[in-house]
Amino acid sequence: MLSLINRILDWFKSLLWKEEMELTLVGLQCSGKTTFVNVIASNQFSEDMIPTVGFNMRKITKGNVTIKVWDIGGQPRFRSMWERYCRGVNAIVYMVDAADNEKIEASRNELHQLVDKPALAGIPILVLGNKRDLPNALDVKELIDRMDLVAIQDREICCYSISCKQKDNIDITLQWLIAHSKANSQK
Amino acid sequence: MAFKRDKKEEEDGGGNIFLNLEKTSVLQEARTFNETPVNPRKCTIILSKILYLINQGEQLGTTEATETFFAMTKLFQSRDVILRRMVYLGIKELSSLAEDVIIVTSSLTKDMTGKEDLYRAAAIRALCSITDGSMLQAIERYMKQAIVDRNAAVSSAALVSSLHMTRIAGDVVKRWVNEAQEALISDNVMVQYHALGVLYHIRKSDRLAVTKLVTKLTRSPLKSPFAVCLLIRIVCKLLEEEGDVALSESPLFDFVEKCLRHKSETVIYEAAHAVVNLRRTTPRELAPAVSVLQLFCSSPKPALRFAAVRTLNKVAMSHPAAVTACNLDLENLISDSNRSIATLAITTLLKTGAESSVDRLMKQISTFVSEISDEFKVVVVQAIRALCLKFPRKHGVLMNFLSAMLRDEGGLEYKASIADTIISIIEENPDAKETGLAHLCEFIEDCEHTSLAVRILHLLGKEGPRTKQPSRYIRFIYNRVILESAVVRCAAVAAMAQFGASCPDLLPNILVLLARCQMDCDDETRDRATFYYHILSGDQPQFIYHYIVDHLQVSIPSLERALTQYVANPTPEQFDISTVPVSAPEPTNVPEKGHGTVDIANPVAVQPETPAKAAESYAVKLASIPELAPLPGSLFRSSDPVQLTESETEYVVKCIKHCFSDHLILQFNILNTLSDTLLESIGVTLEEPEGYEILKEVACPKLSCGETGSVYVLLKFPEDLSLSVSTFGATLKFVVKDCDPTTGEPDTDEGYHDTYMLEDLDVLLSDQVVRVMKGNWGAAWEQAEGESFFELEDTYVLTSVTSLEQAIQNIVVFLGMQPAERTDRLPQGKSAHTLLLAGMFRGGHDVLVRAKLALAEGVTMQITVRAPSQEIAELITSALG
Repeated sequence: MLSLINRILDWFKSLLWKEEMELTLVGLQCSGKTTFVNVIASNQFSEDMIPTVGFNMRKITKGNVTIKVWDIGGQPRFRSMWERYCRGVNAIVYMVDAADNEKIEASRNELHQLVDKPALAGIPILVLGNKRDLPNALDVKELIDRMDLVAIQDREICCYSISCKQKDNIDITLQWLIAHSKANSQK
Repeated sequence: MAFKRDKKEEEDGGGNIFLNLEKTSVLQEARTFNETPVNPRKCTIILSKILYLINQGEQLGTTEATETFFAMTKLFQSRDVILRRMVYLGIKELSSLAEDVIIVTSSLTKDMTGKEDLYRAAAIRALCSITDGSMLQAIERYMKQAIVDRNAAVSSAALVSSLHMTRIAGDVVKRWVNEAQEALISDNVMVQYHALGVLYHIRKSDRLAVTKLVTKLTRSPLKSPFAVCLLIRIVCKLLEEEGDVALSESPLFDFVEKCLRHKSETVIYEAAHAVVNLRRTTPRELAPAVSVLQLFCSSPKPALRFAAVRTLNKVAMSHPAAVTACNLDLENLISDSNRSIATLAITTLLKTGAESSVDRLMKQISTFVSEISDEFKVVVVQAIRALCLKFPRKHGVLMNFLSAMLRDEGGLEYKASIADTIISIIEENPDAKETGLAHLCEFIEDCEHTSLAVRILHLLGKEGPRTKQPSRYIRFIYNRVILESAVVRCAAVAAMAQFGASCPDLLPNILVLLARCQMDCDDETRDRATFYYHILSGDQPQFIYHYIVDHLQVSIPSLERALTQYVANPTPEQFDISTVPVSAPEPTNVPEKGHGTVDIANPVAVQPETPAKAAESYAVKLASIPELAPLPGSLFRSSDPVQLTESETEYVVKCIKHCFSDHLILQFNILNTLSDTLLESIGVTLEEPEGYEILKEVACPKLSCGETGSVYVLLKFPEDLSLSVSTFGATLKFVVKDCDPTTGEPDTDEGYHDTYMLEDLDVLLSDQVVRVMKGNWGAAWEQAEGESFFELEDTYVLTSVTSLEQAIQNIVVFLGMQPAERTDRLPQGKSAHTLLLAGMFRGGHDVLVRAKLALAEGVTMQITVRAPSQEIAELITSALG
């Protein structure tokens, strides 16, 4: 009985405190951005993905939070346009392929270039090291080190190691995101 | 109350809320797109404003467009259908202006394959507008699926978009041929039509494939009338390419003929139109087509009646006899409530009708001519013009009608076309001259168009003095001086001076009038009056001739350039007008051809580039070649290009002869058509004939395939004029290098020398003479006698020609001179004729020729040449021998 009352209360709360957040998902090609969106939206993982040409816009509702995700293509020709979609969002999610050693450096450069943009000052960044299920994937510490995240001091920055395939750590990622939705970040 | 206000607002705003938009403020508003949540209503209106601005011709800079475009992409988060479709329109408009437009590719592919049918077709169109050749591969799979989609709108959109894509990536679209084939059997009329369009476009360049496609489709009937129409057009193209086989024997033509009995009116009309327009149509094939059109003439649908009568109007030019059968139906259409149909009907009748029906038809036209628009009035005027040429005896009726039209209200174009018609009638038909001039005089009494008044005054000055009673025109002209604006007054003064110069008995009166004009308040008018007064009152007949009767012959663009140069580089010397090249008058027969076809869509005949301009551009080009500098004087005449090779050989060579007063520049334009060779250091070896001296050669360094380069040879004309007409043997010499046909890079550095024989090049008399228009040839002839010209007379028998027309043509071509006083037109049924010619020999020597022709066995010609030197006269007489 108590649980029922609680659920009704929750429902009312969600009506009153409906929250919305906007986030932009960037990172080099083949790091798993579109896959990540699919996993958090519908919990579906697919091996067979095609490169995103341009951007995908998705709206995902989690509890009483509606998340608008701008999932931007990671091919070099789109990287100059990342900034346009990062302006004014609640958070930037930066996806890194933790198992691809060769591209880590390029990824680090792109991230630092993005962070240096004055228009994006202060926007929280979540760095996700995807594909931890693969054998020689970097763990969180190595990732922080290799991506030189310590150098970014002017804003909130967080790093998780996840696997979309095995749905590892997706829940904590979502928690972080929801914590940064509009209502929460204003507090 | 509210209602009342609404109504008032409607009247005030004129119904267009977008009327006073400003670009910057609208683009400012476009920032709203970045806000969340999106307000679909507001954003839709802003998008409409942007689209409106772009379509009004407002220019958006790249940054502006890109900013707006990216702001617009934010609207993809809204699920509002109307807004999304506005975004598609926005993408299409901005796709060519903004940068990085491919950013929306993914979003559009999602919409195009999604569930919302309202999005799909529009998304395909937007997607294709942003896709470039490199991205096409990425969406190829979706396009193929869309072409065979069950939804007709989607399939159509995909097909039409593929057609657009062929421009940027024809090869990729070619791979979609199977899908297009499948779409061709669709039940939807539009899909079938578009599929045929794509299929034809893919195979267009392969004649065999087109023939196959057509044979297959002509056998199995297509459902869509639009597709059948397109098929008819394709068939017609094939028929035109077929060559000289009789139409009735071609199976393709059978198909077109069968379409005349199709159940759709669109197809029937298309077929009839096709038959009528085929070049090889004979009366036998024409008959069924015309009878179909005849049926349409009595259709209750105005569109069909209009189409039919418009087509008949065109046929009337090429096959008047075939249209006569429809005369009765056309007569009925004269009273049609749609005036456009009535006008076309009547003009068609005028073209086909007999002389006897002219009066009746003209009466009928006059009942409604005031009700039709200017464009159609022009059509009527042109029909009348054609009629005048056909029935010269009817000029009285027609001229009266034209003058009545002149008095009516109308725009400049309309009035100008009437004046043109009257002028051309005057020129064609000497009997009509006096009445025509009288009508024109009356017209300028009350003419609001300055340009027309000036033109008519000029014509009066030219033609008036040679009429029976020149004095009657003076009053009309002098009235202009009293009543009109400065420009017209100037023209009137100049016209009066012509009378003074040509009619000695009127001279005292003219002098009085000119003296009065010297008080004019306008500078130019006063100057002209003073100038003419002094010339005419001084007793110097050669001045009168040179400064009044004979007008300036130089080419105006060249004069302008020469004067600019003179002003830019101040020298103590005086400007020498004789260095300015003389301009040849425009050939008179060109505009008449243009007027022969009456085309509603384009009633004004397009003027071809004038020879003066072409000569001027040659002069500029020659002057820009450093090796030839300094040019030996100013360019006198450039010939038309002469082919020195067959047109389909390895190297196509054309020669242009540029004539200077003592020098000749031969410009050889060489086109290399071999894809696997590179030519280097190309030159032309001339076998110089006696007397000529080669001074300079400018070789062409390099020519890859498909390029045209020029070789120049500068020669000096022989001292002895009789040697100047001669023949050059010419050989092309060059170094050949084999090269890769795709890159054009030579395979080796080593080339080998080769030569290529060209056809002989003739330097003719006509290359050294410029046509000069003499307004008054007789006066010039007399004048030449007075100025101690040499006169030479000779008689020839031209055995090779059999008619006087032919003889006139040949003489004009050989001598390259301008026939004066319309003596190149032969009055009918005469066996003797006098041809008067005027020209200018290089060096600025006036030459006059009189050729008396008589038709005997062959044509006997007595030629009299008056030229400033014995040599020139001899050269000219000998040119015809």
